[in-house]
Amino acid sequence: MNIIDVKNITKHYSLGTQTVEALRGISFGIEQGEFIAIMGPSGSGKSTLMNIIGCLDSPTDGTYHLNNQEVSTLEGDELAGIRNKEIGFVFQNFHLLARNSALDNVMLPLKYAGVDKVDQIKRGKDALSQVGLESRMDHQPSELSGGQQQRVAIARALVNNPSILFADEPTGNLDSQTGHDVMQLFHNLHQQGQTIILITHENEVAAEAQRTIFIKDGLIESDTRKEKL
Amino acid sequence: MVLQESISTAVDSIRANLLRSLLTTIAIVIGTASVIAMVGIGSSAQRAIDDSISNLSARTLSVYPSRGRGSQKISAAPLSISDADALLKDKEINWRVSPEIRGSKSLKYKNESISISVIGARESYLSIQGYEIDQGTFFTQRDDLARKRVAIIGSSVGTELKTSSKALVGQDIDLGGVTFKIIGVTKSEGSSGWSNPDEQIYIPLLTASDRVFGRDRVDSIRVEVPNTYTPEEAMISIERVLRREHDIGPGEENNFRINDWSQFTDLQKQATAIFSALLIGIAGISLMVGGIGVMNIMLVSVTERTREIGLRKALGATQQAILLQFIIEAVTLCIIGGIIGVIFGSSLYFLVTVFQDWVFTIPFSAILGSVMFSACVGLFFGIWPARKAAQLEPAVALRYE
Repeated sequence: MNIIDVKNITKHYSLGTQTVEALRGISFGIEQGEFIAIMGPSGSGKSTLMNIIGCLDSPTDGTYHLNNQEVSTLEGDELAGIRNKEIGFVFQNFHLLARNSALDNVMLPLKYAGVDKVDQIKRGKDALSQVGLESRMDHQPSELSGGQQQRVAIARALVNNPSILFADEPTGNLDSQTGHDVMQLFHNLHQQGQTIILITHENEVAAEAQRTIFIKDGLIESDTRKEKL
Repeated sequence: MVLQESISTAVDSIRANLLRSLLTTIAIVIGTASVIAMVGIGSSAQRAIDDSISNLSARTLSVYPSRGRGSQKISAAPLSISDADALLKDKEINWRVSPEIRGSKSLKYKNESISISVIGARESYLSIQGYEIDQGTFFTQRDDLARKRVAIIGSSVGTELKTSSKALVGQDIDLGGVTFKIIGVTKSEGSSGWSNPDEQIYIPLLTASDRVFGRDRVDSIRVEVPNTYTPEEAMISIERVLRREHDIGPGEENNFRINDWSQFTDLQKQATAIFSALLIGIAGISLMVGGIGVMNIMLVSVTERTREIGLRKALGATQQAILLQFIIEAVTLCIIGGIIGVIFGSSLYFLVTVFQDWVFTIPFSAILGSVMFSACVGLFFGIWPARKAAQLEPAVALRYE
């Protein structure tokens, strides 16, 4: 069963009098439990595709089923609800709230989900221990290393048990060793059955995934699966 | 998101930009402070006026001879001691009547000579005026009828004569060529604005009439009416008696006038009210300016925190949650300003009460009201920036540099 089903998605932007066709008809499916990388040079439409799959934006045309729910027609707060429940984001520059503790940062999606305070704390701690940072839950981001900050961000992405973990250049701001550690964490999560979508322009990072979709000029250029060893 | 959560986020963000936040609230502080100071000062002034009225257990009216007015043919009939006696004999209202003869005379004691305001009055004068004797006694009705040459001096007359008032009790002085014996000193009353009872000399009415001024024309008749009568009832009664005494026919105008001193305090009340209204206007303007300042800083804050807003939206914040967060931040900012303003305003008001010797009373409703109003200012001026924040596109906001 496909957790994500994208059919013939297009996205047009108007820049002044010009219309830019960022996506020109993209179709693919992602199965439950897949670890997939989406690659492409800048300007390829990769970011636009990511925004649409991440429910941050809506397509101009085409259909997008997430967990068998049509989401391409949803707007505003409905999409916010989907993002909250179905998608966990990990960003290149961590995007942690600077003045909040690690635990508070992790609990943020639960606050927006309306989970009660006791559960928030319990699930926040669970998520932090999943990334091995329960001992640092009272630390502010400035008191954590880059790798630790990214792990806090991963804990935040996981805390509401999303269908998809969505990582946008998660190792882009990390040195190779911590980058490797973070990738290892993704592998562990994948092994536990987590569906992961990785957006990257680095071949080495993409090579970690089972499957790579390569985008160019608003179209899928290739969709390759690694042979299972 | 829970309200409490939004509030702690708001407080955090205000704390993060503490100086900027405090500077922003200055106009709110000034506005609220002036409201509090005004309400406080206004209510104390009011109380002081009310007290001065209720201190007099009764209402005092004054009757003056009418000055002839050009076009109208009113013969300027003087008020006389017999008018006062007629009022006294009238039993319709159990009022107290105090006719007064005033004039200026020179007062000589040893080698010192000063010009002094002389008041010839009845023995009831002291209590009607609410004055008290500090030393010696006031003259009696018997002294008055006997036209005795006795006098009571105000508390600071002695100093003017290069001695002390107390030392003058029992001494003879020369008042306009007539020798008087000082039999008492009044307690210090302080200046009432147009006359200073401490610098006057009081002598019996008939002594003043026969021995000092040589006239039975009085300058005014004070009538003290119990509070159970309205000033209008009292005025009608006074009019009735005096019109009869002065032989004024029906349709003719009074040749005397009656002043109700409470009218003066009414004017004072009005002046206080106008003054308050003016300052509340100023407070309103500064709250308005403050509100615009808050709006400005909230717009800056929204721009600075675009990525944070993008992140919150990516994590599932609804427009309403973002709207609420920023409105609460603006409201919190204004409430903090309001509270600082209340503290400043109360301190200012407290200083004024200390100097004026007033009672310090701020109505709780004024404190609550001005803080609530500040909150409303925050709400009103915070809505637009908050809407801007709430309507940001998450994908765009996340990548904002």
